[in-house]
Parts: sequence; C-alpha cells; structure tokens
Amino acid sequence: MTVSRPAKAPRVRGSATGLPSARRAGGARLPGIRPTALPAKGGADWFRRGVFYEVLTRGFFDSNDDGIGDLAGLRAKLDYLEWLGVDCLWLLPFYPSPMRDGGYDISDFFTVHPDLGHLDDLVEFLDDAHRRGIRVIADLVMNHTSDQHPWFVESRTSRDNPKADWYVWNEDDQRWPEARVVFVDVETSNWTWDQQRQQYYWHRFYSHQPDLNYENPAVVDAMFGVVRFWLDLGLDGFRLDAVPYLFQRDGTTGENLPETHALLRQLRKEVDAAHPNRVLLAEANQWPADLVDYFGNGDECHMCFHFPLMPRLFMAVRREQRFPVTEILAQTPEIPDNCQWAIFLRNHDELTLEKVTEEERDYMVAEYVKDPRMRRHMGIGRRLAPLLDGDRRLAELLHAVLFSLPGSPVIYYGDEILMGDNVYLGDRDSVRTPMQWSPDRNGGFSRSDFAQLYLPPLMDPVYGFEAVNVEAHRRNPSSHLHWLRNILQTRKQFPVFGTGTFDLVPCANPSILAYVRSPQPPSSPTGRPRRAGRSRRGGARPDVEEESPVLCVHNLSRFAQPAELDLARWANRAPVELLGRIPFPPVGNGTYSVTLGPYGFYWFELTAAHGADPDAPGDGELP
Amino acid sequence: MTPSGTGVVDVSDSARAALAELVTAYAARRSGWTGGGAVRVLDAEVLGPGRPGIVDVVAELDDRLVHVPFGLRAPGEEARFLPDGDDAVLGSFVDDEGPAMVFDVTRDAVVAAMLLERVSGEVVQASLVRHLRDDKASITLAMEDRIAFTVYNEVVDGPRPELEVFFALDEVGFNHLAAPLALWRRAGRDLGVAQELLAGASSGYALALTSVRDLYASGGPPELAGGDFGAEAHRLGTMTARMHLGLDKAFGRRLGDVGEWAAAIESTLGGLAPHVLERPDVEQLLGELRVLQVSSQAIRTHGDFHLGRTCRTEQGWYVVDFGSGGQPTSMAGAVRAPDGDGGGPVFRSPLADVADMLWSLEHVATTAADERDRSGRDGLSELADAWVARNRRAFLAGYLGVPGISGLVPPGREALRVLTASFELVRAAVHQARQSEG
Repeated sequence: MTVSRPAKAPRVRGSATGLPSARRAGGARLPGIRPTALPAKGGADWFRRGVFYEVLTRGFFDSNDDGIGDLAGLRAKLDYLEWLGVDCLWLLPFYPSPMRDGGYDISDFFTVHPDLGHLDDLVEFLDDAHRRGIRVIADLVMNHTSDQHPWFVESRTSRDNPKADWYVWNEDDQRWPEARVVFVDVETSNWTWDQQRQQYYWHRFYSHQPDLNYENPAVVDAMFGVVRFWLDLGLDGFRLDAVPYLFQRDGTTGENLPETHALLRQLRKEVDAAHPNRVLLAEANQWPADLVDYFGNGDECHMCFHFPLMPRLFMAVRREQRFPVTEILAQTPEIPDNCQWAIFLRNHDELTLEKVTEEERDYMVAEYVKDPRMRRHMGIGRRLAPLLDGDRRLAELLHAVLFSLPGSPVIYYGDEILMGDNVYLGDRDSVRTPMQWSPDRNGGFSRSDFAQLYLPPLMDPVYGFEAVNVEAHRRNPSSHLHWLRNILQTRKQFPVFGTGTFDLVPCANPSILAYVRSPQPPSSPTGRPRRAGRSRRGGARPDVEEESPVLCVHNLSRFAQPAELDLARWANRAPVELLGRIPFPPVGNGTYSVTLGPYGFYWFELTAAHGADPDAPGDGELP
Repeated sequence: MTPSGTGVVDVSDSARAALAELVTAYAARRSGWTGGGAVRVLDAEVLGPGRPGIVDVVAELDDRLVHVPFGLRAPGEEARFLPDGDDAVLGSFVDDEGPAMVFDVTRDAVVAAMLLERVSGEVVQASLVRHLRDDKASITLAMEDRIAFTVYNEVVDGPRPELEVFFALDEVGFNHLAAPLALWRRAGRDLGVAQELLAGASSGYALALTSVRDLYASGGPPELAGGDFGAEAHRLGTMTARMHLGLDKAFGRRLGDVGEWAAAIESTLGGLAPHVLERPDVEQLLGELRVLQVSSQAIRTHGDFHLGRTCRTEQGWYVVDFGSGGQPTSMAGAVRAPDGDGGGPVFRSPLADVADMLWSLEHVATTAADERDRSGRDGLSELADAWVARNRRAFLAGYLGVPGISGLVPPGREALRVLTASFELVRAAVHQARQSEG
C-alpha cells in the first residue's frame, strides 16, 4: 500500500518517547509522537451510554493570545468539561485548511491546522482527556478534499499524472443529472469546469471541495491510511462527514449506494481489527429507512446521527403535541443491538430541514426565521436559546426529552449556558462565536486584541458575554448550567437511558409525550435489531432485570396539563422521581394520573413495589 | 341447561328464571339503564364450562334486547375485579357443576381474557386487561396494548349498522380504521367485536383544541401560531375523501336530485330552527341552492362525522366511531332507496359529512373562544374566525385533492360552496335542537 504523505512534515514539539504504532499511515514515521493510553472505563459499548459534546476548537479557548482557540486551550478547559460530566468530545475539523467551509475543506489529512497548535498539542490533549475518562472523536471528511489539497493540485495538472484519477473528472457536466445539488443557494451544478485540466470535476458540496474517486483503490488505501494514522495516535473514533455520497452510478442519485456501504464495512473491519472500542459515527442526512443502512448488520458505523428527529422536536413543542416526534420514531426502523443513534438539539450546522416535508419546512421557517438572514441553505442558522426565545423552561424540557429518548445525546458547545448567536455573521459562523467563559475582555475566551479574534464574541444585552458566561452560571446554583450538569449526573446513574428499550405510553392528551425505557434482556445477542419506536417484547420484565425501568413524562404545552397514563404493563410498580428521589404513589392496575406544569416533565424510576413506602398514598392517583 | 358443554343451550324454566334475575340485578346496577322491567331470557350460551366459566345471555328487558356475559366462579374462589368493580358480583347460580358466584365478565380480567379467546381466538395476558370505555350500550376493554374488545350490552336483531360499515370499509382497503380482528355474532345478533387498539391515540377534538388554545394564547395569524392545525386539517380532509371513496366502493352510489335536497334542507331548517330562515345570508344561500342546476351522487356516509369521531395516532388519522351506523343526523341530502319503502340504509351526499366536519371545526374554535372571552373584549372571536377559515380551507384542500373524489361531488366550486354551506346550516340546527333537548 502506498500513501502519499504531505510534503511538509508535521511540526512536533516535546520529547520523543516510545512510538510503536503511529507509523502505519502508509509506512510513514512520525518521530516524537507517542500514542496515548485509552480510557480504561466504559467497555466496548461506551458510546451507547455516553454523552457527547461537540466543540469547535477554534472557538473554545485561546491559550496563546492570538485570537483563535487552540488545542492547548481546549486542554486547559478539560477541568470544566470533566466537571460538566460529558463522556466524549467531538472535535470539529482541526486539519490544515483554507477554511472556506469551516475546516471541512481539508488540505492535509496528517496534521493539525497551525492556528490550532501542533500535533503534539493534540497528543497531550488526548492524554489528559483520557486520564479523566473523557474520549475524543474528530471529524473526518472522506468524501472530498479542499481544492488546495496537494492530491487535487496534482490531479488537475494533467490527465495522466499519478493522481490523475484520484478525483472524479468528466468531459462534460451532464453526467449523473439525478444527483441533487446539496447547497442549492450557492451551487448550480455538481460539476465545475477546471481551466487547467480542461475537464469538469465532480463535487457534491462546494465547488472548492472536489470529491475523491473511491473507484480508485489507491484512494481507498490512502484514506484508510488516514484513519489508521489518527487511531494510532489515540483518537477514539471519527464522525464521518458526508458519507452517503462516496460513489456515483448512472441513473441514481448517487446517495446511499451499495458500493458506499461496502466501503464502510471494509473500513469498519479494518478499524475493529487494529483498534477495538473505537467508534465510527456517520453523518448522513437521510430519512430513517435509509439511515439505518449505515449501521449495516452491526458491521458498518457504530452510530448515526438521527437527523429527522431534531426538527421534529422543535415542531412538537411549537405545536404543543407529541405527534411530530412519535411519528418519526414510529418510522425509525430497528437498529442492531451494538449500535446507537446520536441525537441532538443543535449543532454547528443549520437546523436541518432537508428531511421534513415541504409543508413542514415552510412551517418551521415561518416559526423560527424572524429575519431572512437567519436562513441558511435548507435550514435555519440559530443556536438553541434564541430558537426558543430564551425560554429556559422550554430549554430544560427539550434537554429532558433529548436525554431520555433512545440515543446518545450530543450537546453543542455553549448550549449548556444557553449562549446566543450572531445572525449578521456570514454563512454558518452565526453559531460559531467564541465560548463565553466570563464577563472579562473577549468573554474570557482570549486575551488578544478584540480585532484579532477569529469571530467577535456576542455583546448584545441579552446573550452577550457580560450576561451569559460560564463563570456566572457556575456561581449561580440555580443556573441552567447547574441544572444541566445535575440532570446529566442523574442520567449517568441509569444506563437504561442509553441502552434500554423504548415503549411509548398511551395517553389521550396530545400534549403529553410519555415513554418507558426498560432494560434490555440480558441474553440479547449482539447484533440483534433494536427498534427506536417500540420494543418488541415491550414493557417491564421484573423477572430478568436488575435495573428498573424509567418512566419519562413530558408536557409539550405552555399550559399545565393532566396526563392519564396507561401503565397497565407496569402495574404495581412504585415510581420514584429521579431528580429529587421523591416516592410517588404506586401504579395501580389501570391508569396513572399525574399533572404537569407548563413545559414540565418527570422522570420516574419504576421500582419494584415491595420497595415502596407503605405509607404513601396508594390508589394510583395523585393528590 | 348443560354447563359441561359449550354452545347455545336449551334453558330450563328454572335456569331461565335464575338468569332473568341476574339480568335484572345487572340492569339495576348499570348506569343509564332503566331497571325494574320484565326480563325474558331469549338465549343463553355456555362459553366457558366449569369454573371459572362464562354463560352468555341475550334477553328482552322492557322493549329492548340486552346482552350480558356472566362470569361464574366457585364460591370462595379468589376473583380480582377491575377497578370500579366493587359491585361486580350479581348473585349466585346453581348448575350441574354446583353453586357459583356470578359476576359481570367485563369486571374480571381473567374471565374477560377467557371470553376474548373464546370469541376471537386471541390470547392475552389477564394482567394487562383494563377498562377503556363504558357507556350505556357497550363496554370496551383494552387487552394488552393491542386489542380493544367491545361487548355490546344493547343489541339488535340482525347486523349492527355501524359494524356493517366498519367491516365493509375494511374489506375495501380503507385503512384509517382500527383493524377488525373478530366479530362475535350469535343468532344473527352482533354481540361484540375485537379490533386493533389504537394505543397512544388522541381524539381529533383534543388535538384541535390544543391548536385553538395555543392561538388564543399567542394571537396573530393562525398559520404562524405554534400549534397551527392546518397540516392536520389537510390530512383529515384527505382521510375523509378516502373514507367516502371506500364507502362508494363498498355500497355503491345513487344519483341525487339537488332540487329535492334544497326542499329537504329548507323543510328541516323550518322545523328545527325557523328563525334561521329569516337571516338574509341564509335567505340568499337557499336562493342560490334552489337554482343550482347540477346533479350529485349520494353514497352511504358516516352520518355523524365530527372531530370527536376521529383520532390521531403516530400512524395518522383514524375514524374511530361509526356509532351512527351511517344513519345520518338529518335527512338533508338523502336519496330514497329505489324501492321507495323508506327502510334500509340511507344514501346521501358526501358533502353532508364534509359539512359536519366543517361545522365541528367551527364549533371547537367558537366554543373555546366563548369560554375564554365571555365579554368578547379580548377579540378571541376574530382569532376563532381566522382559525376556522384557515382550517376549513386546509380540510377542503385535503378532501378535494384526493384523486377520484371529484366523481362523488357536484362539479364547480359554486355548487360545492352552496351545498356544503347549506348542509352546515342543517348540522348547526340539529346541534342546537339537541342542546335544547338535552
């Protein structure tokens, strides 16, 4: 196998130590870099129980006062992340890049962007994170490179150079007309004319991001070499960007092709063989039926983002009814037992509306886009707090739903303190402003001159750093940050949130979203399909589980609501409210009544009745 | 009687008298039933021999037919009755197996599960049986979270019209129904039905009210309110059209005379709400109706189609209740049977169902506005009007957008508007009349 190394060697600081394995990236050697020790805890399915935290290194903390967040800064804030209680960090692309697409236009796969530090900064960061039991995954763009990448620079020079067929070239721009243009407001075609080579090249995203040609085995080898390189170095996995588009076929949309799945299976096999307990997280903005294919039979990606769920969560609270959520869960097929959904409220991209119907998209846009500048591509570029008009009760409710639905939640940096956004910034930068640490200069993000900052911090009276920052939140025990930390700790005590089955609880009130998460049968063989919508066996199995099921009841309405829950399958269980450990009246034989305040929610552990307080009121009705 | 076997049994005079006593005891405890009348046992069937066992009885009580499945347990045998079942025990009974404690089957989960198995073959866990609905004429049990088992306590000779419609629609592939699993029929009488339980369903009325409530709290155009109902109203319209196409396929159609309908509408309004006829807008509408030169199809309709007859699940909208059995709330838009004997099912314009639902949309919005804004100072009636206008449009767009529906409704927007509005007037008058009576 041959892998092209970048022309310039990565700059490495620090002392060389034993370097057994970081060498297999095409046989290249990286003197001075040592692999990190992986976190001991967690086991093979750590990703099914963990809480992820998406972080923009550039925007998190600036350690060297140059106005740009960096890896050393990220390391300096590990205390905070450990205190918050997240299990895995997802780093947005840290590779060298002309930065025309937030770093997703990679120009060198084998080192870090000089703005962010050096390769050994990353290693030290990984070491420190792993010592704290925090894992780290990173974005990897397999579909394309920057047009500045040496591979493309060489490929475009002629039609017969060694990299001539590393990208997808054609004589005209008429091939594969069925493939949609993803960024419709920027690009008019998936083909762009290259003056130098006198041919068109294929790109599913921006024209400065030519797609790699996976028909060419050398490209496959090269990209697998990239994966090995970073896993050798100690990364715990990848978020694979834009995976549905790796291949093209005549007469198809070029999405979700069998060849793409075959390649992912091959990648998974390689990863598992040499790097067990790592994770591949697919970004595929597809409908659930297509999404599940990326799990394969438990032999492709470990995780997939559940994109269609996210806009439905917002729609449900706006409509004050559960059906937008329950519908999409009902349409979500079962997934293998060794896989997991990644679910989120907001991320670095726009609130994606690709996977809602046109009518619903219009509705979401009408609801949330008060200003046309807020609209980006097919979605909405807002952070969580402004999307909710700053309503903290709603933010808590949505987090409670996120943390209790099947899947591993992903928190976007800053959302834990309900940071705002800046819609006047270009493209997707509106939600990539600096993390607000304190009311000090530049929000405590950097001691550089204000003008030097990569993006200006928020300074408006509502969401600006003087009003919203980590320091103020940490000092205030009733802040959203403390609430979030508290509920994360509670969630951790109940692995059933990550690995349990899911059963909707019937309730006639449409504003109530209620479900029970129950422990998986212990004998469940790895790889057996698991469905998000409703467990096949359903209900509690008091004879087999040690863990109790957890009942989650959420009021999606701004008004107080009654909930008559059909808990027949959990009859005689004694609910204990999780956040306060408050015993509630036992479940009788029929319906169980609770009342919820506006946007209120309860999580109940459904303990075996013999542990219930005999003096508690007992007819299944609350006072 | 012969309790060791199953099947319809000859009832001895003494057993007949004992069963009649039990029916009387049952009637006395059943809310909404008039007790005290003479009971005559017509037939009895042993559905579960031994103990616990089931004896199912149809009897005449006063001038109607009643149906009671009795559960039998040995005296002292432990029975765990469902909630509200303290008075489940009705008396005692002696047969060849000895004495038995007799109770209402629908109060005992174990025996109710047994009954379901006997009549449908479905096996369920008794621990997951609970009461779902209990009205004057029937009791519905939820069996696990998958079966709704309805036992009719008031029965009729011959098939129940609502079940006829229900099974016919299922037969022609209309799938906005809780799928039927089994029909319990004996001696030509429908005694019960087992069907798919729509777990997690919310009634259409509750869903619409959620939307209205949200609009009244936030104000502004309804299409921009968080709880906008437009998309749901559109889907509801689509389902309604599919229901009509299904009814057409199942029962066929007849050609209606709009002139006759105009006369019937006027006469109905004259009978129920004569003051309405004096309103200038009504006068104008009826004038337009009289001169409509169109013909229109009539089909078996739902007959009493409103939000409360529908429900929403994560699978979409369902029609949950054909309680009217296609017998309409009024004869406006009806077509007489060709034989002209006046009996049999009524065919009428599908727009009558459409009008019922449009009236229902208006009813939910205006009622909620009146409750919240008695003085009218908060301007909720304007919001209600806007909500109604938006959702009417959405419902009609959904209805008329279904391929094939144009063959069932009169051609032209004007005819549609005039006919529908006229049926709505009748529906509102019927509602008023019911309110005055009730």
